[in-house]
Amino acid sequence: MTRAPVLLVEDNPDDVELTRLAFAEAGIEHPLVVARDGAQALDYLFARGAHADRDRDLLPALVLLDLNLPKLDGREVMRAIRAEPRTHALPVVALSSSAQPFDIDASFASGVDSYLQKPVDFARFIEDVRRLRARWLDDAT
Amino acid sequence: MQELEALRREQQALGFGLSHDLHAPLRAIDSFAWQLERNATLDATARDHVQRVRAAAARMSRLLERLQLFVNAGVAPLQAQRVDVSLLAEWIGADLRDAAPTRAITLRIQPGLHATGDERLLRTLLVQLLDNACRFSEGDPRIEVEGEDAAAGMALRVRDHGIGFDTAAAGKLGQPFQRLHADDSCAGSGLGLAIATRIVARHGGTLHLESTPGAGTTVHLFLPERLPAEVA
Repeated sequence: MTRAPVLLVEDNPDDVELTRLAFAEAGIEHPLVVARDGAQALDYLFARGAHADRDRDLLPALVLLDLNLPKLDGREVMRAIRAEPRTHALPVVALSSSAQPFDIDASFASGVDSYLQKPVDFARFIEDVRRLRARWLDDAT
Repeated sequence: MQELEALRREQQALGFGLSHDLHAPLRAIDSFAWQLERNATLDATARDHVQRVRAAAARMSRLLERLQLFVNAGVAPLQAQRVDVSLLAEWIGADLRDAAPTRAITLRIQPGLHATGDERLLRTLLVQLLDNACRFSEGDPRIEVEGEDAAAGMALRVRDHGIGFDTAAAGKLGQPFQRLHADDSCAGSGLGLAIATRIVARHGGTLHLESTPGAGTTVHLFLPERLPAEVA
């Protein structure tokens, strides 16, 4: 069965690789599509620019969004996602290094559905990704 | 005022860097070391070295988190409200018990204590004080939170019966990275009291310590009813 992809919006190549590894450890079979900045993420979601030939009705099962991005930051990406009827209900999980209440509150205020702190401890990150799978992906195609 | 605002913006940028930019390489260090650690061909010495790398990354991460709390304590916008200090202390006590299930923590909290201030910062303040009270107690910690709710503000005391310290050597304790205990004993990051001191100062209050080696420590706080004009 072809599974809908997970869109990872992340500019740090190490974090992209670690997310791939954690997905493999957590047994997630959804393909991972990577956007390196907010503009690339919106091009993918709205099937335009480099993704103009993509089937625009094929939405990702989940968006993992680093809120601090070059070009177009995560808050602007959230505004665009929530403003577009086709994507407004798309599940989005914020990815952040910060565990500070101020940053978590600001992330939810931007409209994300959940918040995942990228921990320094990789074993903990794998556990977090397993929970993310159970919450957002096990029922998705 | 402009210089103060510029300084505050610098501190906010520093806090942002601490939480994001400095954590990213540390995450890569721990995570790729984790991959190495699983390599079955590593000999015992190499495995020990990898584990030391991971332990150091974890220590650095904790330090960065606390350094960010210290920075935030100075620059986070204050939202003054009436805060139920007794309830906050109960919640923090529950977290401390969860974090140290092998220790029987006795926490006696006087009901009905209220203060005016920013709830998130006051919570951070109490976390530092109660965490220190546990950390510097041997065996099962006994801690009391009590105070007087007065018209001009609240006088609060956090008392433990732990190892205490010599107050003559404690002059710099409210400054960052000042420790009275060796790195391998019960010592923390050297930031807990500095964070607490900064939060109290931000609220226009006072904090001082009373301690006897071997008998415990009492932290005396005063939090005024009215916050300083620049933050009210």
